Amino acid sequence: MAPAERREGMHYLESLPRRWVTVYIPLLVFLFVLLFPFYWMVITSFKSNAELLSNGSNPFWVIEPTLDHFRKLFYGTSYPKWMWNTIIVSVTATFVSLAASVFAAYAIERLRFKGSRQVGLAIFLAYLVPPSILFIPLAMMVFQIGIFDTRWALILTYPTFLIPFCTWLLMGYFRSIPFELEECALIDGATRWQILIKIILPLAVPGLISAGIFAFTLSWNEFLYALTFISASENKTVPVGVITELVEGDVYHWGALMAGALVGSLPVAVMYSFFVEYYVAGMTGAVKE
Amino acid sequence: MSAASRFFDNRNVLGPLFMLPAAALLLFFLTYPLGLGVWLGFTDAKIGRVGEWIGIENYEFLVTDSVFRLSVFNTFLYTLVASVFKFVLGLWLALLLNKHIPFKSFVRAVVLLPFIVPTVLSAIAFWWIYDAQFSIVSWVLVKMGVMDHYINFLGEPNLARMSTIIANVWRGVPFVAICLLAGLQTIPPSMYEAASIDGATAFQQFRYITLPMLSPIIAVVMTFSVLFTFTDFQLIWVLTRGGPINATHLMATLSFQRAIPGGALGEGAAIATAMIPFLLAAILFSYFGLQRRRWQQGGSDR
Amino acid sequence: MTRITRRHFLQASAAAGAALGAPMLARESMAQELSFQPEPGAKLRVLRWKRFVQGDEDQWLANTKKFIEKTGVEVTVDAENWEDVRPKAAVAANIGNGPDIILSTNDDSHQYPGRLLDVGDLCEYLGKKYGPWYPSALAYGKSGGRWIAVPLGSGGNCMNYRASHVKAAGFKEFPKDTDSFLKLCQNLKKNGTPAGFALGNATGDANGWCHWLLWAFGGRVVDEQNKVAINSKETARALEYAKALYPTFIPGTLSWLDPNNNKAFLSGEISLTANGISIYVAAKNSPDAKMQAIAKDMNHAAFPVGPVGRQTLSALFFTCVIFKYTKYPNAAKEYLRFMMEKEQYEAWQKASASFVVQPLAFYERNPVWTEDAKNTPFKYTCKNMLPNGYAGTMGAASAGCMADFVVVNMVAEAASGNMSVKEAIERAEKRARRYYR
Repeated sequence: MAPAERREGMHYLESLPRRWVTVYIPLLVFLFVLLFPFYWMVITSFKSNAELLSNGSNPFWVIEPTLDHFRKLFYGTSYPKWMWNTIIVSVTATFVSLAASVFAAYAIERLRFKGSRQVGLAIFLAYLVPPSILFIPLAMMVFQIGIFDTRWALILTYPTFLIPFCTWLLMGYFRSIPFELEECALIDGATRWQILIKIILPLAVPGLISAGIFAFTLSWNEFLYALTFISASENKTVPVGVITELVEGDVYHWGALMAGALVGSLPVAVMYSFFVEYYVAGMTGAVKE
Repeated sequence: MSAASRFFDNRNVLGPLFMLPAAALLLFFLTYPLGLGVWLGFTDAKIGRVGEWIGIENYEFLVTDSVFRLSVFNTFLYTLVASVFKFVLGLWLALLLNKHIPFKSFVRAVVLLPFIVPTVLSAIAFWWIYDAQFSIVSWVLVKMGVMDHYINFLGEPNLARMSTIIANVWRGVPFVAICLLAGLQTIPPSMYEAASIDGATAFQQFRYITLPMLSPIIAVVMTFSVLFTFTDFQLIWVLTRGGPINATHLMATLSFQRAIPGGALGEGAAIATAMIPFLLAAILFSYFGLQRRRWQQGGSDR
Repeated sequence: MTRITRRHFLQASAAAGAALGAPMLARESMAQELSFQPEPGAKLRVLRWKRFVQGDEDQWLANTKKFIEKTGVEVTVDAENWEDVRPKAAVAANIGNGPDIILSTNDDSHQYPGRLLDVGDLCEYLGKKYGPWYPSALAYGKSGGRWIAVPLGSGGNCMNYRASHVKAAGFKEFPKDTDSFLKLCQNLKKNGTPAGFALGNATGDANGWCHWLLWAFGGRVVDEQNKVAINSKETARALEYAKALYPTFIPGTLSWLDPNNNKAFLSGEISLTANGISIYVAAKNSPDAKMQAIAKDMNHAAFPVGPVGRQTLSALFFTCVIFKYTKYPNAAKEYLRFMMEKEQYEAWQKASASFVVQPLAFYERNPVWTEDAKNTPFKYTCKNMLPNGYAGTMGAASAGCMADFVVVNMVAEAASGNMSVKEAIERAEKRARRYYR
């Protein structure tokens, strides 16, 4: 940490060169490192196979850009179908988890029923279970209840890792809503249900958005469950489809893989660009009191 | 208000009722299979064959198994180093993003990109960047004349550990940064103004205002980060499969390798179960960190 | 299983001459035709590995289409990266649901023989008609005397080399013994055109050449009684050889997974590696002139023979398994029978540019072996290869040992100097004991 670090609100005190050294240059380095792999993915997805294997020319630029990989992706594989599956699974799993988490968080944080602290701890502990231990027994269960190789297998199992985080985040957010609001409403004769729907939820929208985005991202990226619970090509999600069907034997189709990764990240990226301020605000709500 | 609705408005009735959906999902799809998994660890189950109870035999073997011991070491090293870097870099990035910078929201959105791309796919991009013969990093260094040969990113045990850690940090920093940024925004600017009027240096402000105010969220974010790192699977599986010579095998990848391709379900489950005590320690640490925060707020709310 | 298997034995006019012919001479026998009557309304789900070679999958699907047209059985074929087929197969075996037929790799199916449908009638029939089965096929197809899988063939494994570079290294033809092979690698290194063999956790490539190396010097993981026998002076000699060989490799092989050597060879970074035909096919079919030149210059050769004095090849092996849970066992068997018959199998082999090497002697006659001389060295892969778990029998232990990379790790540890030869062997012995107990 540079000792001359200045705090927000006083930036006008800093001279411009100093700001370059303490802010802009480090930030640019960060951006470069964080974004370089993306640049690399983009470049790769437009390169022809011949160009990908040549070691001579400047690798930072595409000499003859080609759309072959995207064409292969959309017409040669079930990619559009995977995309659709991923959207359905992620959206549904996110909504299921959010709904469950709203109730849970409200119950733990605002109702303070008997045993709520222990329940809160238990939900937190749910996070300690690594998917690598769960997927074998889960696969058996998923089969026993007859949803193996369907979207439901994912929609119902994803909440196991989404609910703990969403609940934690919403608990924090609900805590920041003044109790007085609720007490007034109670005196006015409102039921708890009305309070939750009409008062708490509208106030918690940033928290809901940020929990939702987070849950959506985790569902979108999930790999192990989708790999083991889904068997048919038409039911796959994007990460699994790309990995299992674009890698052929000992030949990697770099261009198509990278194109698949890029297109697969777009929806989430667009969502973040719209909601990032809410996301930060939602997190803020969760951590302040 | 009817008696029934009054009954349902009772917090001790409504509370458990509201807990029901979450509890049902978690109990059914998490607790029960977890129990099954732990039980598997005490059996000699193989793929396609129900195991018999063999007590702690799996664990007895694992304790003497040098590959397992190496994987425990690797997991700790990986988690520790990656978490420290994620924290330091994440905090630094959060501080930078909290300043007045041009294109603020665009920059914030862009920074999150590594977190967005599915891990397996970004891992493939890294795999290529680290390739022994095609690495772009090596290419640049060689062209610039810094070195005369390509770097063996994934081929030399310590270098491979470093490379996988870098990829993990790359993916983890945005999450930490955005969470800490959220925390930073809750600190009232008036505190800094008061401090600078009192003549506090920038470092003192950081040390005595920023850090203490951030500590609750740091505890939480770092717990999540530690958990995600400790149980990491995808990145290692794509980059090295645990090689070279098991130098990057984590407990999660070793568990998978033994259980699925290797067929030893029982042993794989035992390795996965062995992760739980460590994770438990991390969670409890964070939970009590959260509890502390009430006390802290009482203390810092001047 | 309550279902009754209805078999149709169509007695063809038995050609007396076929029965009299020398049994070792592979010949299409006309003695007996076998077919299974698919259950009405049968539907099959087949999971296969994603092609290594373009054409393989296309022809497999074309054959499947023919089958659908002929029988009316609905067949869906999913193709996945071959390494991802393994967890799928494991889960399917464990929970008893999934694809009806899986094209599986190596001895994976020997981990769950109890879950697999007996395909004895089909295999005996194929063996009679197109046989004999090579010993390796018998090893992979049978478990405890029972046919659990239909051997499909091997992925082939040969030395891939650049002829001009080998010549420049002073070898007119590819060395046939391990001593001159070492010399070749040293010379290649000197000339700046090094060899590269995978030493990372690469299921196909690393296991292939590391087992060859161990066996070439007379070492083996277990003896005939499945007793761990890896701690031997033969193993030590193999590792000493690996230590001498390793410095001649291009840097980075410790990290190599299956695709690395393809990429390095195709870009001209290495001049010698071990692989199936996929490198050559990729080069040959590329529109790029540079790749074309590589295809022209490269060639294949059998692995050199070590001190044991005979071929000790190790290669990927593929089998087809039918799971017992299938609702349509007859349709599944009929499908596999159909695919293994010469009309389909030969076309498939040809389309895959000989990537798949036959497990049945009859298919040696396939013109694919002669029309391109560079295919020929692969021809006898199944004949020459030793099965995994050699010299013991195949089973969960051999599969587990390979999946845990016991031999690969041992070679890598010793070759890279990470451990002494003695330590590496002792560690491997301990790990192998865990599986063979």
